[in-house]
Amino acid sequence: MAAPYPSADIKGLLRQIGLELAFFEPGHDATLLGELLERLTAVVGKDGPPTIMRGLDVARARLGAGGSGLTEWLTVWHAWMDEATTAAEREQPFPAWPAAFGAALGHPPQVETPSPAPPPDGTRPARPLLDAQAECQAVCVLPEGHDDELMRMFCAEAEELLAEIEAGVLVLEQSPADEATLATVFRGFHTLKGNAAVMKLVVLQRLTHELESLLDAARRGRRPLDRAAIDVILAAADVVSRYVGETTRQLEGQEAGRSILLPVPALIERVHQVLASPAGGMPEPASAAVAATPPRLAEHATFTLPAVAPEPVPQAAVAPVAPTLEAEPVERPRVTTSGSVRVDTHKLDGLVDLVGELVIAQSMVVQAADAAAGDDTLARSLGHLRGITADLQRTAMAMRMIPIRGSFQKMSRLVRDVAVHLGKEISLIVDGEETEVDRTVIEEIGDPLVHMVRNAADHGIEQPAERIAAGKPATGTITLRASHQGGFVVIQITDDGRGLDPSRLRQKGIERGLIAPGATLDDRETLELIFAPGFSTAERVTDVSGRGVGMDVVRRNIERVRGKVEIESVPGRGTCFTISMPLTLAIIEGLIVSVAGQRFVIPTLAVRESFRPAATAITTVHGRGELVDVRGRQVPLLRLGRHLGIPGGVESPDRGIVVVLEAGFDCRGLLVDDLVGKQEVVIKGLGETFSGRPGFAGAAILGDGRIGLILDTTALVRLGRNPSETAA
Amino acid sequence: MTDIASMPPAADGSPPLARPGKYLTFSLAEEIYGVPVLAVREIIRLCPITPVAHMPPHVRGVINLRGRVIPLVDLRLRFGLPVAQDHDRTCIIVAQVAAAAGGTRPYAVVVDGVEEVIGLTADAIVPPPDFGGAVDVRFITGMARRDTGVTTLVDLDAVATADRTPDPAGRTTC
Repeated sequence: MAAPYPSADIKGLLRQIGLELAFFEPGHDATLLGELLERLTAVVGKDGPPTIMRGLDVARARLGAGGSGLTEWLTVWHAWMDEATTAAEREQPFPAWPAAFGAALGHPPQVETPSPAPPPDGTRPARPLLDAQAECQAVCVLPEGHDDELMRMFCAEAEELLAEIEAGVLVLEQSPADEATLATVFRGFHTLKGNAAVMKLVVLQRLTHELESLLDAARRGRRPLDRAAIDVILAAADVVSRYVGETTRQLEGQEAGRSILLPVPALIERVHQVLASPAGGMPEPASAAVAATPPRLAEHATFTLPAVAPEPVPQAAVAPVAPTLEAEPVERPRVTTSGSVRVDTHKLDGLVDLVGELVIAQSMVVQAADAAAGDDTLARSLGHLRGITADLQRTAMAMRMIPIRGSFQKMSRLVRDVAVHLGKEISLIVDGEETEVDRTVIEEIGDPLVHMVRNAADHGIEQPAERIAAGKPATGTITLRASHQGGFVVIQITDDGRGLDPSRLRQKGIERGLIAPGATLDDRETLELIFAPGFSTAERVTDVSGRGVGMDVVRRNIERVRGKVEIESVPGRGTCFTISMPLTLAIIEGLIVSVAGQRFVIPTLAVRESFRPAATAITTVHGRGELVDVRGRQVPLLRLGRHLGIPGGVESPDRGIVVVLEAGFDCRGLLVDDLVGKQEVVIKGLGETFSGRPGFAGAAILGDGRIGLILDTTALVRLGRNPSETAA
Repeated sequence: MTDIASMPPAADGSPPLARPGKYLTFSLAEEIYGVPVLAVREIIRLCPITPVAHMPPHVRGVINLRGRVIPLVDLRLRFGLPVAQDHDRTCIIVAQVAAAAGGTRPYAVVVDGVEEVIGLTADAIVPPPDFGGAVDVRFITGMARRDTGVTTLVDLDAVATADRTPDPAGRTTC
């Protein structure tokens, strides 16, 4: 390239052209664009790189010709020229000559091959997909003069589109020719491109445009998707996701205006490489093969990545498997966008609250009418009203419910990435992804789920050789299962890996000072150790997991949404985590208990059992506290009336009821006068007058319109274990 | 009004002087108090109260106002007046007070009975006198002299804010 290459001037002019293009509409005066083009030609000069000069010729010709599709053409051209000039500046290979350019001149241009450029047959030197040194571009995510609200909408929609794209791509990995999924992914990028163009996010627009071209080629059967193509699509989705994530953060006012580095030029180049090579002809970034699995359910995606590929995989194994008539119908995760309305979640919450009130008011009316008695018409009308309010409540709750699919899809990607990274073979089986959960719960479960699945893939599943030596199939299996059980959603994460070794856990626990060396723990208690703060079983810190966020944080997050997590593990056979969470955070199922006429609500999830104790079941430990015998286990007893300072409750325990509460590892018996009943209650905050007063998790309006306080069971169970709380 | 006007003004740190306008007056232990009518949301009869443990005595608990859970404070106890039995004139004033997070929140107080709505001009309001520490002047924004006697003007925002920083005396261990 010419040594004193005037790249700054060229880039400046190109920016101006880009800006002009953003406002350019067909039929408008193109003089300014023409002028800018002339100036650019002048700056590049007669000694400029021939490719760029030819590019300028093409543009002048196309601009002169005018006609329809000019804007699109110029946008493509602008993106290309931007890259070509960057390539010239850095003395890198020029980007591929877009197909559209040929049509403008009426003849296909000869492809110029600057110094390290590949021969057109696609046998490029192997190059890892976007390594750490990949060419990055500093991008300022928020364009000047943007509209915050519009940007927020853009981000929200982009996130949905990305989820759709990612899900689709994982399907395509298994059945690359699936037309409907191809169309979904193509449409996803197409919409992203359109939105990016509206928001004037030039970088995103360029990137998504390239992806769109790639998918279009796949859609038309010109370039079937192989592993290389899938990888580049996923990488691009990641970049868009980072862009959107950063934009969201900056919109919240965090480091607004900051630029981030994104490997957009490298990605675009990679797309061009993929497009220029025949399917299966791309060198694999990792020495890996896509297992030639027939089109399968998306729920059963196998990511097989041998650490060392013994020999080059035959072409046929990589070639996409065309769906045949006999092939079982492919079930695709798909988000239906038709006929949906975006609603502010606050409005939705307000509606749910109001409906909750309506249900209570309704039951109060019914109670009053029952007392008045005798009127058939009234009773019938009230029955009707009850039916409608129940339906209304269900519908309102359903509006907040979304399938857990989105969270699970992220796991497919996560497992795939961990498998690739660690050279493991892991198959993820997902079951019950249509299970609907309140969106707040989904938000809260996200991080714990990522952490646990990553742990399962990283620490649970062994290397293939180790598995075979243990007599297990080389491919490890992680199962994610969601289901409704009563008022709860239960999520199970099961792996068939090495399991947890109780003796190692014990040893670690002693090392970390979590248990006394002589302590006797049963298996359950030993397993519970992994939830203790500062406990990590990982022998080494990998960059996949073991970043210091422990299972204690997972448990805390889950408990914060009134859920609980349990663990079962068989050494050598695997581990199973079971998370139970309330379906919604707005309503809980409560056990209503009474103490001296006052009623309290205990979330049933925290209740292990309740019983009337025999007088002999209570023992006093030298005046320090009482213990109650629960099936042979001595559990500390707390008299709720005494604790809350309510006089007049039952004094002798055998006339009351002991409710056994549990919070993680700990249990505590709570002595109350009586069980009043079970009820679904809408949780209300106590407000700031009561903030900073532990003991109550909120308040609920009971069937008769009076308020029952909801006990904070975790605080009650842990009461006294922490020295600062012993005052009770 | 000369007798009140001649009293020394309260020490610094007391709330700003009450503004002229309409005030709802109510009685507490034979004394008349007033709050700005604009801060009052509604007046309701005494209703079932759910006590909340481990709160200072003046916090009677929470009440259900059409589905909202609202704190209820006994103004007699808050102002250090003697405890009295609830009677048929006892009622609850539901007010809107400033919320810590901005905006307003409902806040209910028990009073011995509501009296009337009065209009007060600027010259009818004088700064609260220094009672010599006998009465908590944190909550008093001024005094109004009327034919029937003196009305003490109360700032419910200050009352509500004080709940968040409880006085050590009222605290119970929990």
